[in-house]
Amino acid sequence: MPKLKIDGLEIEVERGTKVIEAAARLGIIIPRFCFHPGLGPVGACRVCAVKFEEGPVKGVQMSCMTDAQDGMVVSTTDEEAADFRKHVIEWLMMNHPHDCPVCDEGGHCLLQDLTVAGGHGIRRYLGKKRTYNDQYLGVFVQHEMNRCIQCWRCRRFYQEFAGYRDLGALQIAHHTYFGRATDGQLESPFSGNIIDICPTGVYTDKPSRFTGRRWDFERGPSLCIHCSLGCHIITSARYREMTRLEARFSESVNGYFICDRGRYGFYYTNHPERPRRARIRTEEVSLDQAIQTAAQKIIQINQKNGPKAIACLGSARSCVENQAMLIRFCRVQGWNEPTYFETPTMAKKVKRAVARLDEQLAVSMREIEKADFILAVGADPVNEAPMLALAMRQAFRNEATIVVIDPRPVFLPFEFEHLPVAPDDLEPCLTALIKGAVHRSAAEKMGEEALRFYDTAPAEYPDAPIKNRMVKITQKLRQSRYPVIICGTSIVRETTPDVAADSALLLRAARGRAGLFYLMSEANTFGAALLSSEEGSVMDVVESIEKGSVKGLMLVESDPFRSFPDYERLKQAVDKLDLFLVMDYLPSFAARLAHLFFPTQTLFEMETSFVNQEGRVQFATSAYRGGIPISQISAGGHPLRVFRRDIPGGESQPAWQILAKLANIISLPGREMFSLSKNELWSWIAKEYPIFANVPIADELPDDVRVHLAQGREKLFPSGGQIRSGGLSRENSTLELVMGDWTFGTEELSTYSKYLQQVEKEPCLFMSPKDASMLGLKDRERITLPLDKGRLEMELRIVDTMAPGVIVMPKHRQLAWQKIEKWPVKVAMGQIRK
Amino acid sequence: MLSEELLEPLQKRIAETDHPRELVVDIMLALQNHHGYLSDQAVEEAARLLDMTPLEIEELATFYDFIYREPVGRFVIHVCDGVVCWMNGYDSVLNHLFKKLGIKPGETTEDGFFTILPTACIGYCDLSPAMLINGRAYGPLTPEKIDGILDRLRSEAPPPRMAR
Repeated sequence: MPKLKIDGLEIEVERGTKVIEAAARLGIIIPRFCFHPGLGPVGACRVCAVKFEEGPVKGVQMSCMTDAQDGMVVSTTDEEAADFRKHVIEWLMMNHPHDCPVCDEGGHCLLQDLTVAGGHGIRRYLGKKRTYNDQYLGVFVQHEMNRCIQCWRCRRFYQEFAGYRDLGALQIAHHTYFGRATDGQLESPFSGNIIDICPTGVYTDKPSRFTGRRWDFERGPSLCIHCSLGCHIITSARYREMTRLEARFSESVNGYFICDRGRYGFYYTNHPERPRRARIRTEEVSLDQAIQTAAQKIIQINQKNGPKAIACLGSARSCVENQAMLIRFCRVQGWNEPTYFETPTMAKKVKRAVARLDEQLAVSMREIEKADFILAVGADPVNEAPMLALAMRQAFRNEATIVVIDPRPVFLPFEFEHLPVAPDDLEPCLTALIKGAVHRSAAEKMGEEALRFYDTAPAEYPDAPIKNRMVKITQKLRQSRYPVIICGTSIVRETTPDVAADSALLLRAARGRAGLFYLMSEANTFGAALLSSEEGSVMDVVESIEKGSVKGLMLVESDPFRSFPDYERLKQAVDKLDLFLVMDYLPSFAARLAHLFFPTQTLFEMETSFVNQEGRVQFATSAYRGGIPISQISAGGHPLRVFRRDIPGGESQPAWQILAKLANIISLPGREMFSLSKNELWSWIAKEYPIFANVPIADELPDDVRVHLAQGREKLFPSGGQIRSGGLSRENSTLELVMGDWTFGTEELSTYSKYLQQVEKEPCLFMSPKDASMLGLKDRERITLPLDKGRLEMELRIVDTMAPGVIVMPKHRQLAWQKIEKWPVKVAMGQIRK
Repeated sequence: MLSEELLEPLQKRIAETDHPRELVVDIMLALQNHHGYLSDQAVEEAARLLDMTPLEIEELATFYDFIYREPVGRFVIHVCDGVVCWMNGYDSVLNHLFKKLGIKPGETTEDGFFTILPTACIGYCDLSPAMLINGRAYGPLTPEKIDGILDRLRSEAPPPRMAR
């Protein structure tokens, strides 16, 4: 490994490391505009010049374009190099407008910083500056091309890193223009990153324009909870309002970037209708009063109907603390344990996934970038967990083969092999690939169970066109050195997470190394699966209410109306309740119906932790102290001129603290009292769930702690002998309905964002050309779809990238998709009409 | 829309190529020859033919000097803007053209005959100062020679379709 000296400090780096990176490791940050650690070098801006004093390279050279080599002696402070950099800055400033005071980038602008640092204070150039017309780039990004210094970061990210094709470099030389062919919303769901990486104010954050300078904001590290990946973010808040999110670097999870759902999904926390006061029915009361009233009610019900007469629903969007405290609450009270999952099937799938993930198989998102073969089963990354698509794209750029087995019309921003098969055929299709690539001897070495799995799994896929394509794919898989299986948990069958894990084990036995990566539906699905023991469902609860055995229902950050199939039935059940208690921060439907409502804090207002889909326990600090945004109180005018000690609208508390207070009132003498200390709660968690014992409760934010259940105890290859042959489910008279996610419009929290609402696409039903022609339906026709509990009307889209025998629909905010009673849904063909 | 006559050979060539993107310059030139310049519509057409986005076509179209994204005259005079021509009288050639045609760089004469576009070195240093008109090189240029060339072109060619 090359050893070199930079500013008198010695460092040894891997071959291929650029001098600018080697210096950064020593803590020496060489000025840069075009170089970005996530995008690599390009040598466009010339500002990273340093002096090479000794070694194979001599003189002033670009540190981003020069590989670190043995014997190099580099000076970053050399007079000649510093003078060179100063002139580079001066020429970059020639065309740059002097609009820093009114520029939204001012205060966190790399160009501004380096201009000051480079000592360029007086403009010598008096001529005209080059000017451009700006473009409308949509809801998120404000364009101001005059400020451009041609570093190419935006295009390199947009096209090369992310793979989208509607923003690029136009014109030539000093006319170079970065923009779109025509005005319009940027098509990439990662477009916001060009704001973060632009070294100056060409692209600025549109929703947060004119809200403040960097130093005006309360800023802090936090987590994105708009999917299960748990990307790292930086929050900015001002005047009691969450203002802006940026990507925060994470070595294992998201790297340098985040998606637009994560970046602009946070507006639920500022939602004007967000309930901020405790309520008894419609009357606003103090939180303490509501807790007292709730306690009395609960005691009454418990005395009259027993401890099982109150049911609790939690959710997978809640943090570990809230989920754990709800369980602790129920256990101490002797109630039934809370339910966290919409359906028992979902609970089972997720629990299987959580059970099978172990330290050897689990890969982080950044590790996926290093895979040379990715096999995604029942996963639609761009729509379910957008940043995963970017990780897969980096693998693709490193020449990985990427195969997606999924019935939906999956789009990814790179070339991949899509095997569109029905949900029932996902497993046989996967095992056929594995058997084609793994020799039987590998399974034999793993023991009897593995061999049974191997021998009984279908080796062939019956469908000829797909079978033919699989030949080439298995060849590639046979040669791969590091295959990774990605397995979704939303549309797959209950057994699929196990089959994926067993396939990964076989691959590892055959190839020496393999990874497994599950996708889950929400930010803390993994936490819910780890903590919860019961497998009850919302349906069970509703039935118990109807039977009269449950008299009280407590919802903690859960809105069953979002997913329950029969709206009327749920509403009638709720009307029957003696006590309907809701704790939430969303203006949800359930919150409106609550007899007793408690406002809880969002992620941005509390210290919390979430477990992402690979079992990584991650922490977030609070961004601000909450309360009603000043903009909403003053309606644009001056804030109220009154003195008060509290924060207006700042009554919200973490749900777990409300639960603790409630428990302490209703608990009988002698029972355990709950503390309001987070550390105490965490020690309870560590005691009850030993896998959490290693999680440090510290002020800094560790993100390298993973919790995995599987420690050699889990039964491997449980689905041996149970995987059916493929192609059997093909009945010509029915179509299976598959519900999917969309990047925008389906994830609960982000659907409350007024900015994301503007970029949502209209919901539609996807159908294969084969089925559409049998039904005589045409593309873009309005159709009606009969479901268990009513009809849905929407546009039909005919796409040839999906499985025949299947129809696909998003769980879209604008669609009353909940009208489904029983999964899987089969729709008789003749019933889909114009 | 493009005629079948124009489209068919292009589609055939695209079908025969492993990486159709390689043909992007050829396709842009073919469409430019058809439309007179690479119109917005032609950009869309090229994108469709090559399975590229309009932006990707535009990136290349605006990069190349010989792809015209605006209407040009019947004859496009690319005056060589290279070092050798500078030494041998580029300025006087350019000035003579401006004076004779009454237009500035990037403009087209009112009768729609001529457009002047200075261009990076065209490689005819042996003929410097040189210019290219619709693909044909002329030089070494003198004011008299230029007058002769322009007068001949104007008298021999049919009047332009798109007089401005």
